[in-house]
Order: sequence, then C-alpha cells, then structure tokens
Amino acid sequence: MNDFLTFAMNVVALGLPLVLAALGGLVSERSGIMNIALEGKLLGAACATSLVAASTGSPILGLGAGLLTATILSLGLVWLTQSLRIDHVVAGMAINLISLGGTNFAAKALIDQNQLSGAPTLAKEMYWGLGVLAAVVIIVGFARTRPGLHLFAVGEDPHKSRQMGLSPIRVRVGALLTTGILCGLGGALILTNAGGFTDGMTAGRGFIALAAVILAGWRPGAAVAAALAFGAIEALRIQLQGAPVFGVEIPTEAWASLPYIATLIALTGFLGKTSPPAGLGRI
Amino acid sequence: MRALDAVDFSALPGQIHALVGENGAGKTTLMRVLYGALDVTSGTVLLDGNEVSMPNSAAAIARGIGMVSQHYSIIPALTTLDNLMLGAEPSFALDRKAATERAEALAKQMGFSFRWTDKAEALSPASAQKLEILKLLWREARIMILDEPTAMLSPLDADALYGSLKRLANEGATIIVVTHRLPEVFEFCDQVTVLRGGKLITTQPVPELTPATLAELIVGRPVEIPSLPESHPGKELLSVREIQVKGDRGDDALKSVSFDLHAGEVVGIAGVDGNGQKELFEALMGLRDVYSGEVFLGGIPITDAAPVKRLEGGFRLIPEDRHHEGVIEEWSLTDNVGLGLQNQPPIADRGRLDRGALERTASAVAERFRTKHGGLDQPMASLSGGNQQRFVAARAISGEPKVVLAFQPARGLDLAGIADVYAALRDVSRSGGGVLVVSYDLEELLTHCDRVIVLCHGHLAEPDADAARDRGAIGRLMVGVGE
Repeated sequence: MNDFLTFAMNVVALGLPLVLAALGGLVSERSGIMNIALEGKLLGAACATSLVAASTGSPILGLGAGLLTATILSLGLVWLTQSLRIDHVVAGMAINLISLGGTNFAAKALIDQNQLSGAPTLAKEMYWGLGVLAAVVIIVGFARTRPGLHLFAVGEDPHKSRQMGLSPIRVRVGALLTTGILCGLGGALILTNAGGFTDGMTAGRGFIALAAVILAGWRPGAAVAAALAFGAIEALRIQLQGAPVFGVEIPTEAWASLPYIATLIALTGFLGKTSPPAGLGRI
Repeated sequence: MRALDAVDFSALPGQIHALVGENGAGKTTLMRVLYGALDVTSGTVLLDGNEVSMPNSAAAIARGIGMVSQHYSIIPALTTLDNLMLGAEPSFALDRKAATERAEALAKQMGFSFRWTDKAEALSPASAQKLEILKLLWREARIMILDEPTAMLSPLDADALYGSLKRLANEGATIIVVTHRLPEVFEFCDQVTVLRGGKLITTQPVPELTPATLAELIVGRPVEIPSLPESHPGKELLSVREIQVKGDRGDDALKSVSFDLHAGEVVGIAGVDGNGQKELFEALMGLRDVYSGEVFLGGIPITDAAPVKRLEGGFRLIPEDRHHEGVIEEWSLTDNVGLGLQNQPPIADRGRLDRGALERTASAVAERFRTKHGGLDQPMASLSGGNQQRFVAARAISGEPKVVLAFQPARGLDLAGIADVYAALRDVSRSGGGVLVVSYDLEELLTHCDRVIVLCHGHLAEPDADAARDRGAIGRLMVGVGE
C-alpha cells in the first residue's frame, strides 16, 4: 500500500508539469497556432524562476519571472507566426533554440552555480492546486463558454470566424497568453521538483506534453488523462530503475520512448480517428 | 484604382433589391462598404436617415446589417447550433438549452428544420444556405445582404429560398441580393441596381425592364442571346460503363454510372454540389480509382490508365479548384502554361523543356480570352480570380484536345467571359472533340450545351427526349424526385 502511495505521489509530481504544458499546448493548437515551442517555454521558465529566486531570495518574484519569460516566449511565437507569417514549425524551432542557448548562457554567466542549487521555491502543493484548477477551468471553458467556442472556431477557420465578427488575432493572443502562463507554471514546477536549475533540465517534457495533446485528439479532458498517463510511465521508470519486469530486463530508455510510441500508434488511427483543428499551422 | 466612383445606392425595407453588374463592376466593393469590411474614401452611409460609420463587420452586425457571402461562413466541425450563435452568443456561459429553444422558434417561423446537435459538415448546400439566413435572424438583422445566394442551389431550392426572402421582406426586412442570374431578378426582385465599371448605371423597379434591356444596361451594348447551334454528334468518343467510385469518406460517390459522350458534342452535367461531380471528373482523369465498371476512349479501354497517358491521349481538365489544382500561384504564367503538357511537344523537346515554345504557348493562351496580366513572367498570384479562370480555361483548350472536362468553367466570369469560354468549348466540339461541363447553374447549361444529364446522389439520370430542355423536369431530377 505504501508503495502504491509513493507511486501515486510520483505520478502527480511527474505528471503535473506535463498536464500544465499539455493544457498550454492544447489552447495554443486549438487557436490554430502549432506549438512545438512548449519545451523552450518550460526551460525558459525554469531558468528564470531559478535565477530570480536565487538572486532576490524571493520565491514569489522567482515564479513571477518564470511566468513572464514563458509568456514573452509565447507571444514571440504569435509575433513570428501571425505578424511575420513564418512557418509555425520553423518559428517554434527558433523559440526552442533561443531558449536552449539563452538559459545555458544565463545560468553560466549571470550567477555562480552554488547559488542556483539553493534557490528558494514555493510549496509543491500550491502548484498542484493550480494545476487542478487550470484543468477544470479549461475543460469546462472549452465546452461551455464563449471564449471556448471562439477558440475552437478560430482554430478551425480564422477567415470564416472573422466574417462572423470575431477577431482571430485577438483570440490567438489570448490563447498564447494562456499558454505562456501555463508553461510558466509548468517550468517553475519542474524546477521546484528538481531543487535547482541544470542545463536542459526539462529533458523533452515539452515534446511529451505535445504528444499528449495529439494523442488526446486535441480534447482537453483526454489531454489531461494522457499527460497523467505519461507521468505514470515516468514514475514507473524511476521506480523500476531498469529492474526486470516478469524476468525481462527493460532498459530505462525503452520506458522513456513509450509516450512517443503511444502517440505514433494514436496517429495511425488505431485508437479511433481524431483530427487536428482544420486551421492548424495554416499561415 | 477607384472601385466605386460616386455611386448612390439606397434600399428600402419590405423589398428585395437586386444588385447586378459584370466582374469588376464594383458589386463586391459596394457590399463590403455596406458590411463594414471596407471604408469609403469619400461619401457617406446613412442608416434610417442618420450617418453611420462602420469600421468593421462587428459594427455592421451591431447595427442590424448581416451578410451571407457566396462561400458560406459555416464551420463544418462545429454543431449546427454553435454555428448559429457563433459571434453572437447571448452570454459568457453558453446556455445551449435556451439557445436551442430560440433557434427552434426562429426555424419554425421560417418553416425550416434542423438537428441542432449534429455537426454542420453534414448540411447540404440548401440547408447551409437556410442556416445562413437563420444566422442573420439570430442577430436580429434588419438589412440582409446575400451574395449569389442561389449559386449552389437546385432550381427548386432556389425558388424556396426566394420564398423565404419574400416572407422576410414582407415582415419589414431590407433584402439586397447580388446575382448574375437575370431570370431571378425578374421573377423575385422588386428593385434592381446596375453597376458598370464602378459607376452607377441605374436603379429601377424591375417591372419597368425587360431581360434584353437589363442585359444591355449591364454590358453597355446590345447583347446577342447566343442561339444554340444544331448539334451533329458523331461517333462515341468517351464511353462510361457502370462505373462505381468511392468518395473521400469511403462512401459510394458514384453508383453505377453509364453514359456516352460523342464527338462534336457539348454535354452538361447538372446537379447540386456534392452529388458525385468531382468524383466523376477525377475518375475520368485517372485521379481516383474506378473499382467497378469500365471507361473507353474511342473504343479503347482506359479505365486504369495513368493521368499522364490520358493527357497524352487528349484529355484536358479545367479543375474545380483552380487555385490549388489548376495553377501554381508562385510560378509565372509562362511556367504555368506547361503544367501537365510538359511531356508533349511542342513544349517537350527530346527530354528538355523548350522555353521558346513555352513562351509562345503562354502568350497564345493569354491572348485567347484576353487575360489581363502584367507580363507573362509575373507570378500567377498577381492575376485576379476571373483572369486566372480565363487562363486555366484557355490552357485546357489549347492544342487539339479530344475530351475536355470543364468543372464550372464560367465560375467567376462575367457575361463576356462566359460567352468566350463556351465559344471556345464549342470550337473543341466543332473540331471533333467532346466536352463535358459540370455546372451548378442549370440555366447556363441549358443555354450552352447540346444535351444535359443529371447527377443526383451518385446516380446519373437523363431527362426524357421531350423534356430534354425542360427546366422544371431537370430541376426535379436534380433533387431526386420525378423518377
């Protein structure tokens, strides 16, 4: 029983950053902006949270800096794709690379490593509460509110939405602001879980979150479930530490690849047909 | 360039007001001004006698002005109900139960019926048009602007639509209809405004006009109504025998379709959009599998021949979607003219492209229908929609095609352009070729084709010999009644 409790706690701890990032990705993609930049936002947020918290001693300012960084990166994606009309994949790539290089530089240049590991952080439970709240708000908001309907409509067809008096760019800016805040929380939580910033510490979680969105067929409830399932896989991997399962030794890399394999299978249509928003990634 | 030059326009409540004119006459511009999508450089818009400014569509909607554009603004992935209220939701939290009640009441008032929770992708063109009208009512629009509302409808559905519009007008609505179908103007409209070259020609009550005078006002010179030449069909050119073809969703798009196209014939295929026309043309071009049945060209089976073989055999296609299937917009006119013909002389010269031949062909093609362009080396995207259509149609009939498959060849063209295109198709048939034309405009087919056949739900029907040119009888076949 105790084992199970530990496992469940691990699932929540490891799954929640994925849930936050997946919800962020979902809102972005539903608005029509393809978002492969979740990874960069998580990483940027984790780094900013750590740096500011360590240098000011205030975990709240740290979280604020994390939210701000992810939001700026998120709005950067809007600017690149909507104003400059750059291909969504290329723009997302750019954001990821800026974040990867920028955090590496910032962590090395601005502050000495010893300070980083001692950055004060907020309680994990606060993030858990915010995560649950975000999930509920987005699931209900998608199905039953005006912004939810507008988000869906703009992601399907911005041109027709404009004819109906909607402002696609306003909807998209709102969506990507939300994405920024959710990724900011996710990145700060990853940092909190780890205790200190290390280079590339998000380790592909942004992509796993995106995989959860795709696996879920761009549906909010399913996206939360998929993100938690991927969290469970990670928890299993840690718990088993490469120990044999039914006498077979499974390398940890095999576990790590499970989310991607699941997403591939989902994309082939074996798990029922899903389709992305019709306007996704169209410039 | 001045799209509208000091034009006065006024529409009264209780009337259906037709707005007519050729391509580039300024109809669309005028509508966009009325709908707040475009601002005027000088002049004013008055509503109930007061000057108003409408910087965007939302402002126009707020003032009770609604528009149905030719391409419906219905989003297929949303439910019918969500489409109805999109952009005009009563409250932040969506109360779909209350919305359904109101929707049901509006539909009842108009005599429509909908399944509100179904996705809108299942709506037929006629139902979609009805939903568009309900959307205006949902927004409490008093002024309704409809752009080519009957373009996609069968004659029966078109009559029903005008019945609904009449009812709305009687209840005090102002209805403005942009149309190129002149019979509709005479049958259903109260007033007509004619624009030509951005200038107002006239606004008159419809009963004061005759079809001939109206056509003359539109074009600016007397119009000859083309008389159909006597047809002398030759041997069977293209024979289709009981072909079955799947649609995109795996449904049976064509269910055992058979017909013959003879040399020297122009045959029209009537039908409402989505009844198998696209699949038929794709199957005939080799772009879609024929899983049962056979196709012959001059007696030789070609059922499974590759598209390139068909092009070599003299097949030409004027595709439905010229932007995506007809041209590569980033390429120049010259490069576009070689598309599909790159393997054949004169353009192909022992494995390389003959640039000279390409340029000569391009200039001949552009000349054929007087395509307006800024140089053959300019990208296709620099041409207006109507001019792209001219170019694509001219390319299809260049050389000596045997079978021309023309999907809505007159789409987006004005009277002169339509006459040009059909004259060219007629040339193909005169020189021994055959032409198949798909159009959603039955009047157009009856005017220009030797024979009209009908596609309805993947079945092909031919009207009886004595009803071969009977609008009503063919219209009934189009909606699947009368057999």
